[in-house]
Amino acid sequence: MSGYFAGIVILTCVNLLAVLGLSLLTGFTGSFCFGQAGFMAVGAYVSTLLTMRLNAPFPLALVAGCFASLLVSIPLGYPTLRLKGDYFAIATLGFAEATRLVVENLEKITGGSRGIPSIPTRTSLPVILIVALFCVWLIRNYVSSRHGRNCIAVREDQLAAEAIAVNTFRYKQISFAINAALAGLSGGFLAHYVGFIQPSMFGIPKSTELIAMVIFGGMHSVTGAVLASIVLTALPEVLRVASAWRLVAYGALVVTIMVVRPEGLLGSWELSWSSLRELRSAWQRRFQTQS
Amino acid sequence: MALLEITNLSKFFGGVKAVDDFNYTLDSGHLHAIIGPNGAGKTTIFNLITGIYPPTQGKIFFDGQEITNLPPHVIAQKGIARTFQNIRLFPDFSVLDNVRTACHQQANYSILEGLFPTPRRARQEKELTERAYNLLELVGLANRAKERAKNLPYGHQRRLEIARALALQPRLLLLDEPAAGMNPDETEKLMDFIEEIKEKFNLTILLIEHHMEVVMGLCDDIVVIDFGKKIAQGTPEQIQSDETVIQAYLGAGEEL
Amino acid sequence: MILQQIVNGISIGAVYALIAVGYSLVYSVLNFSNFAHGDVLMLGAYIGFFSLMLLKVPFPLAIALAMVGAGIIAMIIEKIAYRPLRLRRAPLLYFMISAMGMSIFLQNFTIVTIGPNFRTYPDIFPVKPFAVGNLSIGRLDLVILIVTVIVLLLLTWLVYKTRIGIAIQAAAYNMRVASLMGINPDLIATLVFLLAGASAGIGGVLFGMKYTVYPWMGMLTIKAFVAAVVGGLGSLPGAVVGAFVLGITETFAAAYISSAFRDLFSYLLMTIIIVARPAGLMGTVAQEKA
Repeated sequence: MSGYFAGIVILTCVNLLAVLGLSLLTGFTGSFCFGQAGFMAVGAYVSTLLTMRLNAPFPLALVAGCFASLLVSIPLGYPTLRLKGDYFAIATLGFAEATRLVVENLEKITGGSRGIPSIPTRTSLPVILIVALFCVWLIRNYVSSRHGRNCIAVREDQLAAEAIAVNTFRYKQISFAINAALAGLSGGFLAHYVGFIQPSMFGIPKSTELIAMVIFGGMHSVTGAVLASIVLTALPEVLRVASAWRLVAYGALVVTIMVVRPEGLLGSWELSWSSLRELRSAWQRRFQTQS
Repeated sequence: MALLEITNLSKFFGGVKAVDDFNYTLDSGHLHAIIGPNGAGKTTIFNLITGIYPPTQGKIFFDGQEITNLPPHVIAQKGIARTFQNIRLFPDFSVLDNVRTACHQQANYSILEGLFPTPRRARQEKELTERAYNLLELVGLANRAKERAKNLPYGHQRRLEIARALALQPRLLLLDEPAAGMNPDETEKLMDFIEEIKEKFNLTILLIEHHMEVVMGLCDDIVVIDFGKKIAQGTPEQIQSDETVIQAYLGAGEEL
Repeated sequence: MILQQIVNGISIGAVYALIAVGYSLVYSVLNFSNFAHGDVLMLGAYIGFFSLMLLKVPFPLAIALAMVGAGIIAMIIEKIAYRPLRLRRAPLLYFMISAMGMSIFLQNFTIVTIGPNFRTYPDIFPVKPFAVGNLSIGRLDLVILIVTVIVLLLLTWLVYKTRIGIAIQAAAYNMRVASLMGINPDLIATLVFLLAGASAGIGGVLFGMKYTVYPWMGMLTIKAFVAAVVGGLGSLPGAVVGAFVLGITETFAAAYISSAFRDLFSYLLMTIIIVARPAGLMGTVAQEKA
């Protein structure tokens, strides 16, 4: 596999991990999170500091970054998850920005706005691919479980969810934590692939990219999240679109989708044996009527 | 012992006294109703019982335990289920999933098992699905199990909401205007249905209704509310002949 | 020096007030947070800038152009990005997402077309400040305060003393019922966005004059949000009060802790209010009807 192609796959997997988390939190649980980049930053910086300052083995650093991000989500979520949608969205945005500011100002540790260069490139294609696919499997399972259904109930009608004995706050906390963990993992992989990290990599543009992917693929579909990660990572890379135009396109894409087809590309359609069978019988029926 | 006991319940929204010093005891095994003119505070009482907001004053006891300031999901766990005045289904969920989600308490597999499926999870899921289908059959919606809840006609949506409430295996069922928007034929079927589920599931039922034939035909005990206060309580015969009730509904000075 | 900081705080608070009041107006009538509000402010700032630099118009005309231009842009944004959602009665989440997308689009479109460079307004007013006792009040700050007061007074008159204003208030209270009374919701939405955009446009020019003009000015939406939250979301006077509170406290934080801390502080303030007193200083928390 050529280096260029491998790079695209790796970047796709990096985005996929973060998008997966958002899919669960924003898509399935209905909490609009605009601070995903903040969690990625936590994962990126913690894992980097471990590999570079403490010579920790990569897998350990990754897990630590993932865990650190999860830990951050707990005190953050506690006051904010009780809030209405737009308060929560702004709060997460504030979190991401605050994280970036903090990183920029802790120069001694984080290298400030110049960031940390020369990070050992430990991210390899087979590893991240396996991890990403594994996480897709995990999230698919979760969403189809009774816990996943409870999350969806929270999204659909919080009051009614409470009335059927769903602890809405607890489920939002769990989705928030899983999201943070996945984003932290993504950040750790990213740092050790690109080889350097800077606060500017984890700003609003990054959060927007990820939200755009979730929306594009379909907020109620894990398959959609996967598809969107592939399309929206690979396409700009292949087209070599300049960074600012890419964001112009993302912004326009998001608005267009909301106005024209808010359910995104796949809506709630999930790739599964049963859905494939349904497709096949629909296809066969079409041929039968023709003959 | 009373199943539900409400003492000195009051709820003020700013200057509005939605519920004013409401006292009520509900014994298990019967059909009860709360009636009253629009805006009298009936749904507010339901909301207070189910914990949607805390009362300004007063206490609520369920089966001897105080539930006054508990969060709604805990109260639901304890065995109080409800339907809503303006139907609150999960619109994008299928008919089946609306009910199946409400069955979640009958399974106990963990979050971890949510991520990593186990045979135990598969078994429990199968049971949940079976239970959900049974409930759907009870309300005659089993053949529409895969449809989106929001696409159902109004009457079916009401039935689905009741099925979902039953999935909680409650002891007390609160129905908020279950007959709203129904014609006489549907209303009669509803009345039969309510009696059926009461027997079958050993329920105590508390209704809010405006359809008097449902209330008078079904209920053993009726409470009348006006302006947040209880103005009468008794059997259908007693209520029908109560002066204050007639005045509240029809206004004073009406020639009959 | 405390008095001096208060003066500075009031000055930036005035700009925040112009942004916050438009933001709050949209929120109270249409029930959603317009994340793209700050970007309208940004465009207003650019319009004013280019009117002065390219078209060489006199300052009052430049402000007028910015006001009108921003108002029109806001109306167009409503038509494209929000109206279809409103007509479809889409959930709140969709509005927020659409607003975010619009914000990103406007920001980056500006970057790729006009360029990411910071622009400085020419000095319209003599730079030498007034001296009032120990205080040094810049002429620009005075102008900002005067303009803000005029705009707020106009808005107050409009919303509370005219028929169309009463229609807006009715719509803010309950859009559906208002429409049953013959008030056209589309017209109200257009009008509200026009007003919000116009005040944002003026705010943009003033902000640009006091600091600089750059494509990321839209981030000020967060300040507007914080101000509106502090004062009480949904309350117009609250937004103004919140804006001045934010401006003053922020200035103190920047002066006595560090200027990098300024933005961090506003997030902190917002978090504290959200957690401790979500209704804000002057707002009320509405109960969801079951």
